[in-house]
Amino acid sequence: MAAVSQSFKTELLGAIPSLRAFAVSLTQNADRADDLVQETLVKAWDKHESFQPGTNLKAWLFTILRNEFYSQMRKRGREVQDSDGIMTARLAVHPAQHGQLDLKDFRGALEQLPEDQREAIILIGASGFSYEEAAEICGCAVGTIKSRVSRARARLQEILKISGEDEFGPDAISAQVTGSNAA
Amino acid sequence: MKEMSKKQMADAEKRHRNGDGNPLGANSEIARKLKQYYDELVSDHVPDRFAQLLSQLEQAEPAQKKD
Repeated sequence: MAAVSQSFKTELLGAIPSLRAFAVSLTQNADRADDLVQETLVKAWDKHESFQPGTNLKAWLFTILRNEFYSQMRKRGREVQDSDGIMTARLAVHPAQHGQLDLKDFRGALEQLPEDQREAIILIGASGFSYEEAAEICGCAVGTIKSRVSRARARLQEILKISGEDEFGPDAISAQVTGSNAA
Repeated sequence: MKEMSKKQMADAEKRHRNGDGNPLGANSEIARKLKQYYDELVSDHVPDRFAQLLSQLEQAEPAQKKD
């Protein structure tokens, strides 16, 4: 077995902040997230020979972390949430006030998403992966990722009571603010 | 008024052009909050345990013949 190269170790270290962010997004729990990252690092170390240099290490690590997360969930006997079967159970609370959405409210809304939708919107909207990479990480079709992202987005808008925000929201508001300041 | 709608049209067009890049819409509230949420997590201080873990893994490796 070849030794783990120094550069591999350096890259692992560099990936830790992203891995932790993804882990927290999945688990919604800081302690569990760090345990998950630790497991991921150990697995990555053991399997380092299966990583192909020149390919995306971050995507490879995210795949390991995600597999570990779902296998832990299965071990705990927890049903993996299936977004299709989920009712819009908990209703949200705070309407977005004039586009000034509180981060805490956003976090709460994100937490209400089924895992598959949450991970899809995080991978695409925050971690900076392409649809193809996200599909690879989640082991599903590109179209599946696309539909999860769009359902996640719709659900978040619903929970946060944002509607038709994209086209005119922020512009209209800043125009209003400018207007009232001028008066 | 005319100018404003022109600007809005330009913005919408720009978003449309970038649409494939950011499926959430670069200027949408959801996209911005998601980024903010995630960036905050990424910039969180990394506990020492991870660097220690990697050092341990490195030390635990069997001695290698140089080749």
